[in-house]
Formats: sequence, C-alpha cells, structure tokens
Amino acid sequence: AAGAPKPLPSSGPKSLREMPHPLATSSSEEMGPALTPSPDLLLPRSIADKDLTLPNGTPVDTSSPASSSSLLNRLQLDDDLDGETRDLFVTVDDPKKHVCTMETYITYRVTTKTTRAEFDLPEYSVRRRYQDFDWLRNKLEESQPTHLIPPLPEKFVVKGVVDRFSEEFVETRRKALDKFLKRITDHPVLSFNEHFNVFLTAKDLNAYKKQGMALLSKMGESVKYVTGGYKLRSRPLEFAAIGEYLDTFSLKLGTIDRIAQRIIKEQLEYLVELREYGPVYSTWGGLEVELSEPLEGVSACVGNCCTALEELSEDMTEDFLPVLREYILYSESMKNVLKKRDQVQAEYEAKLESVALKKEDRPKVPTDVEKCQDRVECFNADLKADMERWQNNKRQDFRQLLMGMADKNIQYYEKCLTAWESIIPLLQDKPETK
Amino acid sequence: VLSFRAVESQSEAQCAPVDSLWRRYSEFELLRNYLSVTYPHIVVPPLPEKRADFVWHKLSADNMDPDFVERRRIGLENFLLRVASHPVLCQDKIFYSFLTQEGGWKEMVNETGFQLKADSRLKALNATFRVKNPDKRFTELKHYSDELQSVISHLLRVRARVADRLYGVYKVHGNYGRVFSEWSAIEKEMGDGLQSAGHHMDVYAASIDDILEEEEHYADQLKEYLFYAEALRAVCRKHELMQYDLEMAAQDLTSKKQQCEELATGTVRTFSLKGMTSKLFGQETPEQREAKIKVLEEQIQEGEEQLKSKNLEGRDFVKSAWADIERFKEQKNHDLKEALISYAVMQISMCKKGIQVWTNAKECFSKM
Repeated sequence: AAGAPKPLPSSGPKSLREMPHPLATSSSEEMGPALTPSPDLLLPRSIADKDLTLPNGTPVDTSSPASSSSLLNRLQLDDDLDGETRDLFVTVDDPKKHVCTMETYITYRVTTKTTRAEFDLPEYSVRRRYQDFDWLRNKLEESQPTHLIPPLPEKFVVKGVVDRFSEEFVETRRKALDKFLKRITDHPVLSFNEHFNVFLTAKDLNAYKKQGMALLSKMGESVKYVTGGYKLRSRPLEFAAIGEYLDTFSLKLGTIDRIAQRIIKEQLEYLVELREYGPVYSTWGGLEVELSEPLEGVSACVGNCCTALEELSEDMTEDFLPVLREYILYSESMKNVLKKRDQVQAEYEAKLESVALKKEDRPKVPTDVEKCQDRVECFNADLKADMERWQNNKRQDFRQLLMGMADKNIQYYEKCLTAWESIIPLLQDKPETK
Repeated sequence: VLSFRAVESQSEAQCAPVDSLWRRYSEFELLRNYLSVTYPHIVVPPLPEKRADFVWHKLSADNMDPDFVERRRIGLENFLLRVASHPVLCQDKIFYSFLTQEGGWKEMVNETGFQLKADSRLKALNATFRVKNPDKRFTELKHYSDELQSVISHLLRVRARVADRLYGVYKVHGNYGRVFSEWSAIEKEMGDGLQSAGHHMDVYAASIDDILEEEEHYADQLKEYLFYAEALRAVCRKHELMQYDLEMAAQDLTSKKQQCEELATGTVRTFSLKGMTSKLFGQETPEQREAKIKVLEEQIQEGEEQLKSKNLEGRDFVKSAWADIERFKEQKNHDLKEALISYAVMQISMCKKGIQVWTNAKECFSKM
C-alpha cells in the first residue's frame, strides 16, 4: 500500500535548489557515502523535510532509495551488468490456455529470483494474464510519471484475422511480455516500484487491484497525471531535440516496418511460384529415363529452398516486426511523457509569473512555487537520465535485431546453398559409374 | 569440317541494319525448311524463337529490343553449329552455300525444287491419319515429344513467373538503403553502422539484374529443346504419313487386283457401282472388258513396283530415322544434363553472393 514517502538520500540538510544539478558534476564527494555503485548498500536515508508530491497531491512513490536521483541512474548506466551486480531476475514463460464459462484466455508464468530486501522470499512463481500486465503498466505510469515506461505488445487483435490462441501469436506475445518485465527489472527506479513488487509476488493480484482502486478513490477521482491547461512558452532546447528525434525515429521505424512487410509479401508470392516450379521438374523426370534422377534431384532441391524460404518469412514475421512495432509504441508513450514534462514546467512558470506580478516585498519565494520548481528539476533529471538509458538500450536492441535479421537471411542462403551443392554430384553422375 | 571464319562472317552480317537482319532470319527459315524436306528422317535442329515468348516483366517482349536481338543472334549461331556438327546435314551443299555464298543463294535453294517435295499435310499438325499397323516405337516417340513440349512450356512459363517474383524481392530491399541512410542522420553511435549496412542493401538489390540475365541462357537452352521436341514430332509425323501412304497404296493395289479378277472371271464378289450399272444397262462387250483388264494389269504392275519402292523407302526411312533419333537422344541427355548443372551452378553462385552481402551487412550492424 502507498505508505509515507521515503526520503531521498542526501549529504546533508541542503535544499534541493542549493544542491548542484545532479548531472552537472561527476564528483562523488558531494554525493556522500550513501551513493556507491553497489546497489546492496543503497538504503533509504532520512533527509530533512523534502518530500515530493505531484501537483495533484499524489505522493511520488519514493520507495526506492533514490527515486528521482539520476545520480544512481548514471552509476548504473553500465549495461554489462554481470551476475554480481544483478539482484533481480524475472522471466515470462509457460503460456497456458484457460477455458472458462465466460471467456477463454492465456496466462503466463512469471518467475522471480532475487536477493533484494524488498522481497520476503528469494523466489516467486505466479501466473499472470495480459490484463495484469496492462494493469501494471497503468500503475507505473500513474506512480512514476517522470519516467519512461516500457511498452506492452498491442492489446487488441482483430478477431478473425489473427488467431489469438495460435502458437505463433502466443509466443510472440510472451517474448514481448518478457521483454517488458526485463526492461522494468533493469530500471533502477521502476524495479523498486511497489506495484511491480506486488505483481511479481502476490498470489491473488485481483484482491490487491481492488484495494488499490479503493485507495485511489479516496485520494480523488483523477488518478491521471493531468494538470490544468497551462501553456508552455517554449520547450527547452534539449527536450525539443528529444521530441524531434522521437518524431523522426518513429517515422523511420514506420517506413522500415512497411518495407519489411512488403518484403515478406513478395517472398510469399515468390514462394507460391516456387511451389509450382519444383514439381514440374518431377513431372518431366517421369517422362525421361536417363534424365529421371537429375530432374528429380532438381525438383527436390527447389522443394528444400521452399522450406528454407518459408522459415525465413516466419522468422521475420514473428521476431522482427513485433520489435519494430514495440519501439514505435515506446516512442509514442515517450512523447507523452515529454508533454507531461512541459505541463509541469508550464505550471511552474505560470506560478512564478503570478508571484512576480504581485510585487510584494518578500525576499523569499513562496513554498508552493518552490515545490513547482523542484518538480520541474526532478522531472527533467529523471527524463534525461531515462533518455540516456533508453538510447543505450535502443542501440543494443536494434543492433541485436538487425544482426538477427542478417543472420536469418544468411541461414536461408546457406540452406539453399547446401541443397544445390548436394545435387551437383548427382547431376554429373554418368550412367556407367552407377 | 567447317571453318569458323565462315560462321563468324555470317554473324557479322547479322549485325547489319534491322531490315537485313529480318531478311537473314527468313533465309534461315528457308534453309531449315529445305533441310526438313530434303532429310525427312533427320531431327533437324530448330531455329530460335522468332518472337519473344515466355517473358517476365523486366524482359522486353519487343522484338527490336537489343537484348532479345542479341539472344536470337546467339540462337541462330547455335543453329548453324548444330547443323555443322550433324554427320549428315553438314555435308549438304545448300548448307555449305548458305555459309559461303552471299548473293543468289535464295534462287539456288528454290531451284532445287524442294517445295514440290514438301507435304502440305504436315502443316495440319493434329489431323489424324488412320494407320492400320502403326509402328509402336514411333507412336510412343510422338507421344513423348508431345509430353516433352508440354512440360517444357510449363516449366518455362513458371520459371518466368519465378524470375519476376524474385526480382521483386531483391528490389524492395533497396528501400532499406535509403531509410537506413535517413535514419543514420539522427543517430550518433549507430549512424555509421546503419549507413554502411544500407549500402550493402543497395548492392543486394542491384545484384539481381546480373543473376537473372544469366538465367536467361538457361531458359534459352530449355527453349531449344522445346523446339527440338517439335522437330522430333515432325519425324514421327512424316513416318506416319509414309505409313499411311503405303497402306493406301497397298489397299488401292488390292482393290485393283480384285477388280481385275472380277472382270476376268465375270464374278462380282464385291458390290460396286460399276457392277450394278453393268447389270442394269447390260454387260460390256468382250473387247471393252479386255481393254479394261489390260489397263488394270498395267496399273497393277505399276502399283506393285510403287509399293515395292515405297516399302523399301519406308524401311530405309525407319532405319536412318531411328539412327538419328538415337543420336538425338544422346545429344539431348548430354545437353540437358549440362544445362541442369549450369543452372545449379548459377543457383550456388546466387546463394554465395547472398551470404556475402548479408555477412557484410551483419558486420556493419555489429558495429552499431
């Protein structure tokens, strides 16, 4: 349950404003002994009266030792986390079909292995369905609005076009759900989110969901992070750049998606012709005597190429396209986070302006304006850190994806090569040598 | 043994302006017709197609297309080489003049009067002539040639469609080149890898043009045998007509003999209009009958001689035709095996190119 927000670690009772910008320096002296690379030692420290709340009053989930600290993110940007630094492992597998009176659906097994103190046990195994993942994502968006939440595979499938229970569809979805949880696991803030914890551990998730709903209704009807319509004058350069990047990025991905689909379509049409082509050699072989074996050989060869091509197209459909689409969804949700950030900044600027206009004799800035400023700086820091992390992961993901695509094509040609090379001796065989 | 210089000069002549090429093609046709009529028992090498057939979309169906013209030129050269390497045909004087004599060759051919020997019935390809005692071997061979034509046509049609589709697959990959380039512009670390991989995608897309051009040679080899099957069928047909003529002549002889006998003995064994009229209008005079018998006896003698020579002709035909058919079979088996091997080699080369390109692309991606 949402408890009292746990405070940030700090080197002392400084106000956030006086602290150097988290990304400004890399020196660790100011950070204090709490911030060491080893996650095991990152325990919440008490700090003076700095609490973070969202403009709508919802407390920011700071159950993590360094909720909005990009310092931690920076220290953990090293992606080659070896087994020693990892303390949380999550896997999604074993899809099973459930047939009930009202509906039929699939559940997946979610296995967790961890040494983290936030978990009561070192191992968990629960079953979750897509709805539950969707719920988790929504909760994360609500409770961690300053962070980039990974995407889920698409919720709705056009019935009749896609078979929701086919092996291929379920496997594609499973991989995407596994990726979703792994991305959260790798995130230094999101992985400590309590909803995530409950998702991984609770036997009865539905009970928790209902409880959560009740609590929220106490706090107010709007759980969405929506602020009043403040208009932002201009997006700071670096965020404008991110926005532009995401626009072009998702555009290019869309193009690649269309190209890949077109290639698959052309390959399937090629396959249709090949399937007619091979057997004609066989028919011919039936007419001949001496040429019978060579012609049959060619027919079989073409058949093998057909099989290889089929496998290539399947792989591209199941492994390549979904990842592209995932990243397009990712970009969309990221653009929304950018907009939210704009809102927070706009609110701050508006409030600041109204204070300035009052022309009162106060040297000190009122606390609510200060809080706004904190929010802006927090948001900016979180977002920047997440962007850097996202860029790195994206680079790795695409490196893997594109290398995989090249690999599949290489394998296709290798299969065909083997087939054709193997019939050369058959074709060259002289009747006398038989 | 023919000198290659002669063949070359012929091909050079074909590079002459378009109208002279067309004349040349018609002269090839004239030569082939002459050979077909003069050597009916030989499976005469076929000419390459007059019009572009079995084309896939990138290939032009235009007969003036330089690629088509070139391939036909090669086909015509091949035709001459086939004739030149045939043990019987290479000795033909008209063929020799075709290679050596530029002017007046046409007149020379027509002077042989070979058109008179040409059997117009051969043009009616599917007209059936009921042969009472067909030679089983020729019947089977005719059936085989029909099937061969059918299967090779089918193969060529599908191959053209396969080529078309394969072309599409390769060319679409070219789009990757452009989008990777555009994408690399907004990336920092990934940029170089993407850009260079895109270049390889362009190479991949471009490679299909040469691959399919080479495959056309394979298609041409198949086409030659498609047309050869027709030549084979023609030999069977000629035999069929020969056999039919033989049977008709034998039948005619038999009926004449019968008539003669009837006239001589005065008995009417078979119903005949003449018999009826003579019954109705009275018997002939003995002089008339004698005259008729004499005519018939002359005809019978002629007929017997003709039948004898036809029989001999027939036996000779079968003997030499079958020898050439055996020669043709061996040639066909050898050539088609070679064609299949070269096709497999082409496929292997295409696979290796594919592996190379994608390996290069993979390396670029790995540097992202």
